[in-house]
Amino acid sequence: MEFVGALEVFLEMGLIFSVLAMGYYVSYSILDFPDLTVEGTFLTGAVVFGLFVANGLNPWLGLVAAFLSGCLFGGVTGLLHVKLKIRPLLCGILVSTALITVNLVGVTAGTVGDFRAESSSIISFGRDAMTLNDAFFGNLIPARVAALGNVPLRQPLIFLVVAVACKVLLDLYLNTKNGLLLRATGTNEQFVKMLAVDPGKSKIIGLAIGNGCAAIAGALYTHTVDGVNQSMGLGMVIIGLASLIIGLSVFKKVRFLKSTTKVIFGAIIYQACLVVVQRFGIPSAYNKFIMAVLFTLVLILGGRQKKQGGVSRVNA
Amino acid sequence: MLTLEHIHTAFHRGTVDEMKLFEDFSFRVNKGDFISIVGSNGSGKTTLLNLICGTLQPDAGKILLRDKDITHLPEFKRAKYIGRVFQDPKAGTCSNLTVLENFALADNKGKPFALGRAVNKKRIDYYKELLSKCGMGLEDRLNTPIGNLSGGQRQAIALVLTGMTDVDLLILDEHTAALDPKSSETIMELTDQLVKEHDLTAVMVTHNLRFAVEYGNRLVMMHDGKAIIDKSGEEKKALQVTDLLETFNQISIECGN
Repeated sequence: MEFVGALEVFLEMGLIFSVLAMGYYVSYSILDFPDLTVEGTFLTGAVVFGLFVANGLNPWLGLVAAFLSGCLFGGVTGLLHVKLKIRPLLCGILVSTALITVNLVGVTAGTVGDFRAESSSIISFGRDAMTLNDAFFGNLIPARVAALGNVPLRQPLIFLVVAVACKVLLDLYLNTKNGLLLRATGTNEQFVKMLAVDPGKSKIIGLAIGNGCAAIAGALYTHTVDGVNQSMGLGMVIIGLASLIIGLSVFKKVRFLKSTTKVIFGAIIYQACLVVVQRFGIPSAYNKFIMAVLFTLVLILGGRQKKQGGVSRVNA
Repeated sequence: MLTLEHIHTAFHRGTVDEMKLFEDFSFRVNKGDFISIVGSNGSGKTTLLNLICGTLQPDAGKILLRDKDITHLPEFKRAKYIGRVFQDPKAGTCSNLTVLENFALADNKGKPFALGRAVNKKRIDYYKELLSKCGMGLEDRLNTPIGNLSGGQRQAIALVLTGMTDVDLLILDEHTAALDPKSSETIMELTDQLVKEHDLTAVMVTHNLRFAVEYGNRLVMMHDGKAIIDKSGEEKKALQVTDLLETFNQISIECGN
């Protein structure tokens, strides 16, 4: 049943990180903003969600709260860039650094029992904690399908629902007036100015959405480790960007797929590649290294290093 | 209508490269004027437009639009009253959006950009009507991404988009310079149509002396941050391309070229 195990891992991980990648679709592809804030907001989402679960609150509300927390800090990055004219990369570094403290405080607040020590700050979901798996419609779905060799069903399905919901909402948003303005801001700021609108506002909104998505991904991720720990946010920039770029370049010629759909597939493909690499018996300590190498390969093969007009191919 | 009062502008202020462009420069645009501005490179034409549009702030002086002080109003706020078409055809439209989406955005200028559906299907016929006036067959290409159109087509659309909402002032920033002779002719005719149709006040910078002479009711030649020729009405009508060339030559001799 090794195959089923692998399938479970990359499907679940792929769906979780597809939400992160959709966030990058907004901030990186549409707005052309290399956002490093996600490194912090991914964990912030996880912490906020973790606090909801640890305190026995409704986890679906926790998911919404996680999204909002991501929006908040993404908005801060946007404000730093727009109002104080700080460069994109620096804004991300500043906010994600500040978030290390915020997240640590959050995690410490949520830590109960023997773990209450700063060095081992983790929120651990107890057996009876109510996660998305147990709340509302989660508990209506059987956890596993015994007839098919115990294939897991409930958790992947929940992730799928969340990912698809994010996709649909994002697609809807991008076709509103505000969404169209956002798309215009990324390609032609001057055009937006001539519409008598401040392009800065669109940038802040876009970064808020991008990081809100990252936070949702963080919240979902807590399910796979049954809790929150401080190292969860590491490497999110690479996972998000790699998923995004794989999706958009592999399905470049497929016109009937929306970009958001391509990004979901991209995230799953990237996770599948990671799983395959790990099957060669490489210790898990090498994970992040492999991720970076794989991403470099993607960049070379996809030929998607930022060229002029690169963005124009990536419309919704 | 638009007044620039005692404008001072210098570049690289406080360095050895300091270049004073405008010193106590004043300029007036009257309602209904269609001004062509000509002049050599570095004479201050584009800087003048940038000052009017708010891309650049003057070091001293005042800019008034309909008696309202707009000197410190940011560019995007001035855009409510001022429409601008750029030299680069890519600047006036959004390449990754379709023609229709560009129209939808321009149509919403001055209104809030909220969460309503961007494209209003009822307006499509109106957009088509506007496009058919360009005579480029663009009315059948509403769903084409603007990036796939030629420079001339994009500039025509940029012009139409600018004319869609009421602006007090139309700024044309060498808007035919990047186009082939045939397209620039077409764009110039469309511009003239637009100005007459909406009774617009327009300021056009151009290097095409023939356009400057043929179109508009006032002609200004800039040199060294000063308006050395400023003719309107009958005087402007009498002006020939050769007269302008002569002045250009004189300037060149003075400058030692």
